Amino acid sequence: MGLFGDKSKAPPPAPAKPKPKADFSNVKTGSSSTAPPPAPAAAAERIYVVKAGDSLSKIAKTQYGNANQWKKIYEANKDVIKNPDLIQPGWKLRIPE
Amino acid sequence: MPHWVRAGGLALAALLIVSACKRAEAPAPAPTPAPSPPVSAPTPTAAPLAVQDISLGKSVGADKSIAELATEFAPTDTFYVSVKTTGAAPSAKLTALWTYEDGQSVAESSEAIAPTGPATTEFHVSKPDGWPPGGYRVQVFLDGKAVGTKELVVK
Repeated sequence: MGLFGDKSKAPPPAPAKPKPKADFSNVKTGSSSTAPPPAPAAAAERIYVVKAGDSLSKIAKTQYGNANQWKKIYEANKDVIKNPDLIQPGWKLRIPE
Repeated sequence: MPHWVRAGGLALAALLIVSACKRAEAPAPAPTPAPSPPVSAPTPTAAPLAVQDISLGKSVGADKSIAELATEFAPTDTFYVSVKTTGAAPSAKLTALWTYEDGQSVAESSEAIAPTGPATTEFHVSKPDGWPPGGYRVQVFLDGKAVGTKELVVK
């Protein structure tokens, strides 16, 4: 060991601290075009033929798995259904997605 | 038969023959060309959608083109990139991906378009508290495929 210590044992220089990441969380974006947007896809819907003993709740249960969705069927078929408690066998009801 | 009668008869016969020959030689009237079936002009097929130009600047006009081209920005500027396309598509997605220096994600935005001809789409980004100085890059994608890159600097 020399008088002033062994320089070869000097600790290596500390690695440069990584530059902190910039914060872009508040960046606002926007876009627009002269081209029209794509036409929306036609809403898919099925047709259900009412059977004897059916009710809107029952149909909603079989179609959506949730009897509470009966209003959805009622709203889509107001031209046919005047009274949601009274539906007739043979009616063809639209079942919206 | 008197001589003059015979001569007259011969002359008349000769005249008729010549006349007949001339009639036969007369050019036949040009045949009326048969009406050709109508040929429908080929339906022009729309060119596929393609990116024609990408430009960068500090503002855009009503036509979505860059009004003020720039590659150097101040921290308070809004970056605009304008993408000109040609061709048509019933549905396509243009995406602008902004990155900072070593690739740190800054922002990404997309625009769904259904152009029937030349169109221009602009994307812009802003940062209320100012952009950190350094280099930025915007990559443009058409339906997920990279179609161009522009670089800018904030000083």
